[in-house]
Amino acid sequence: MKRPLNLEDIQGNVTRAYGRFSFPFARYFFLNIASGEEGRKFVDKVRRQVTTSARWPSKQELEAGVVGPEKPQCTMNIAFTFFGMLKLEIPSRTMQGMPFEFIEGMKARAFMLGDRDQTETSEEAGNWDKHWDPIWQGNRAGDGNDANNVHMWISLNAQLKTPGTDEPVDALEEQTKLLKQWCNESNGGVKILKGNSRDGKAEFQSASAVFEDVHGVKMPTPKEHFGFTDGIGDPVFKGQYPDDRMKTAVVGRGKLMGNGWEPLETGEFIMGHPDESQELPPCARPFEFSHNGTFMAYRKLHENVGSFSQVVEEEAETYATQMDVALDEARETLMAKMCGRWSDGVPLSKVSTYTEWRAFGKKMGFDVDPDAEHPVTEAGRAAKAQIDYIRSPEASDFRYADDMAGLKCPVGAHMRRVNTRDYLDPVNAVGVDPETGVQPENKDATTALNRRRRVLRRGLPYGPSNFDSKDDNTEQGVAMMLMGTSLFRQFEFVQQQWIQYGLDFHEGNNTCPMLGNHEHHQRHTIASDPATGKPPYVMNKLKTFVECRGGDYFFIPSMTSLRMIAMGIVDPT
Amino acid sequence: MADLDSGHIFLTTFAPIKDSSESNANHTSFEQNVRIALAKLPTAMQSPATQNTGINSPFSRNKRNHLARMFVLNDAVYNGRIGQNALVATVKGVNTVVPQHVDQLNCAYLVFAADIDAITRDGEPLPTNLSKAEQKEVRAAYARELWNTMELEIQDVYSNCVGFEDVDTADDFAEYLDKCHVETTMPFHDYYMELPKFHLLATKPLLLAVLIPALVAVVALAMRILGWIDVPMLGWNTLWTFIIAAALTVLIAFMAVKYVIRNGEKPLTPATYDDLPSVLKSLYSQQKFSTFAVENQGASASDLHRSFAAFLTANKPSDRTDPTQIPGVISVAAMDKLNKKTGRST
Repeated sequence: MKRPLNLEDIQGNVTRAYGRFSFPFARYFFLNIASGEEGRKFVDKVRRQVTTSARWPSKQELEAGVVGPEKPQCTMNIAFTFFGMLKLEIPSRTMQGMPFEFIEGMKARAFMLGDRDQTETSEEAGNWDKHWDPIWQGNRAGDGNDANNVHMWISLNAQLKTPGTDEPVDALEEQTKLLKQWCNESNGGVKILKGNSRDGKAEFQSASAVFEDVHGVKMPTPKEHFGFTDGIGDPVFKGQYPDDRMKTAVVGRGKLMGNGWEPLETGEFIMGHPDESQELPPCARPFEFSHNGTFMAYRKLHENVGSFSQVVEEEAETYATQMDVALDEARETLMAKMCGRWSDGVPLSKVSTYTEWRAFGKKMGFDVDPDAEHPVTEAGRAAKAQIDYIRSPEASDFRYADDMAGLKCPVGAHMRRVNTRDYLDPVNAVGVDPETGVQPENKDATTALNRRRRVLRRGLPYGPSNFDSKDDNTEQGVAMMLMGTSLFRQFEFVQQQWIQYGLDFHEGNNTCPMLGNHEHHQRHTIASDPATGKPPYVMNKLKTFVECRGGDYFFIPSMTSLRMIAMGIVDPT
Repeated sequence: MADLDSGHIFLTTFAPIKDSSESNANHTSFEQNVRIALAKLPTAMQSPATQNTGINSPFSRNKRNHLARMFVLNDAVYNGRIGQNALVATVKGVNTVVPQHVDQLNCAYLVFAADIDAITRDGEPLPTNLSKAEQKEVRAAYARELWNTMELEIQDVYSNCVGFEDVDTADDFAEYLDKCHVETTMPFHDYYMELPKFHLLATKPLLLAVLIPALVAVVALAMRILGWIDVPMLGWNTLWTFIIAAALTVLIAFMAVKYVIRNGEKPLTPATYDDLPSVLKSLYSQQKFSTFAVENQGASASDLHRSFAAFLTANKPSDRTDPTQIPGVISVAAMDKLNKKTGRST
């Protein structure tokens, strides 16, 4: 893109997954607005603290004299629900331009999203959200009481205080106090809603990277609670990175339209810019109100770690017997075949067998030498090798059109569902050569049927660290934020058609082996390379490993828009 | 001819809805009545709510239609004023203040469209080609089948349409529906496991057949303009060469277009398991077999042999009609749930 984006106008959480920028802690606050005037005053205070997308110069750049804003100890960002914006007295003429799914909110979309049993009518489903956190049960309850409604989302992301510990910087608590102080100053006009936990007490949703304890030293990991390395292949769009970084960042994370990897159009993720269909995404008037803003689905995704390890263990035993492999290999292979990456983030599409994977880890230095003189240094070295790898283009540079049969990575694996890459190109050739066992390359396959379905993923795990005990009933999971200019076309489509359904992958009703609802469909098919002479394996005891515990749809305004909201001057005429 | 493709008839019919302003003693118009009748028609059982009713779509009572759709076409959609280049409009003296004519249909229509097996009796194999008369007979047979399986529903809907007063029997309805028949111009078919042999056009010879005489005509004309009376070596008169070559070009172009259209109209062959009973049986078998395969993972050869024999006995893969999936039901599981409810067995 010739003209750079106005990064100072776009909230920082849109362009950055803070976890990757050394902010391993977060607090997500949900607030209720009782008075429009007090609400606007509150927004005015917050907006002055909001972290934008402006680039923070690196140490080397600062030394070289590059001028730029300082990287904060703790970031702050803000977003609103539909009712939140009504409370802030944004004109109806603007509000009627909001997308219908955003107006309805996530709870009303539960049937379609698979958040509730799709074989039941709403009467039969009854009180289906009783496992949601109290704050989300009370939100949009339809009881006419809007004192429980979530109107505003504020996120704080904090850096680590001291390396080797798992404590955030003090700024996190200071900013928390500041928010509370502003609430107090609002004379009841704005309040923080409690209930971000099963007991209903938590004032905010706390989140943090999962820490490992290495000989008393606490180290943050890029993993979620099932043990998979997370957050690798986020989409890349025009203007997100400076040109020199874009060249490598775009590999495996942009689009393939016949010219190699290219960044996606900005308008897929930020309003007011052309999108992948060469249009401006539809948005509410005035244009300045929507420009540089986007939409976000906040989803608290609970992880049933007990069920997950129990099912993997049980299936691994059968798999080991049938495939004649060791239990450990069976376990690791099944997990990889469910996800699409090995637990350390190495993609199956590039390293497809257990033996190759072990050799790859050794070559790349991911393995910790148990006899090392300084075990902590050794663990640090291995962790750095792994993180350097998953952030390199190598970890994302692969396609699926050369593996239509899913011999390397099963077609129904989690990764192939959430980002189909070039698999869905309708002219892809299929089949396996019976002589050579080779699949067609499909070199010219494009991502045309995928580029309008990309979603920015933000958020962090929540719950205990790896040195604490965890089961289905302990509180752990991922506080997920999914962003795009159309929740309907992007997030909801992926969730409904690709996570909770399998037709596009020739998988019938099978749902995503990791994120899918497995109340009724418990299978995941793992194709077998004919060369091995082994039959395919169908996992068939899947349980629902990930379940939504609440959330809603939010609008993330630009800095200009926030100022207009705070000043009460949103004028659609 | 596009009505027939891949052994299916893609049926389109337009039945004019009576004009309420002419003879109507009620406060409800005939068009409203059609919409009310359509709204009351049960849909297929494809959602938890419709499954609970246990009432299936009346179209599920026959074994011929893959898809059926009825809707009211109220009028031609008005797209607004037809735009024109401002300069052209000025030259033509168009006064843009004067409203343009707005196209309208002469009345509202009930549209009934269906994708059906092109057969006259259940169980017949699907044909590749049918004459006009044979196609008419397929449509009539389907109409009679509808009348015999859903006469009340048909009367409820069609009694609001022009000329339906005289329809009392299945044959009458077949004749009536034939009067409403219009050609389907773009059928869509999606059951192929292997793509059929397409009627590919030999575009290059066709183009050459048109371009060669065209080129001769252009060259001859150019020679004439430059003062050449005869074609060197051949001695042909350039004017006559031009006239004959130009005439040939027009004639061959006309025939080529005709040929292309006729080629496009040739129906494709049916896929191997393209008829509705086979489609339903394959849906049934797919679900039953995947369960069988999963349940027998890792079984010994003798156990597998034994269970497969039991599977064959229970599910009779070669019998298209039984056991199978009920039309209008979304899955075997939903069918079992329904059977439990109604006490019916498949």
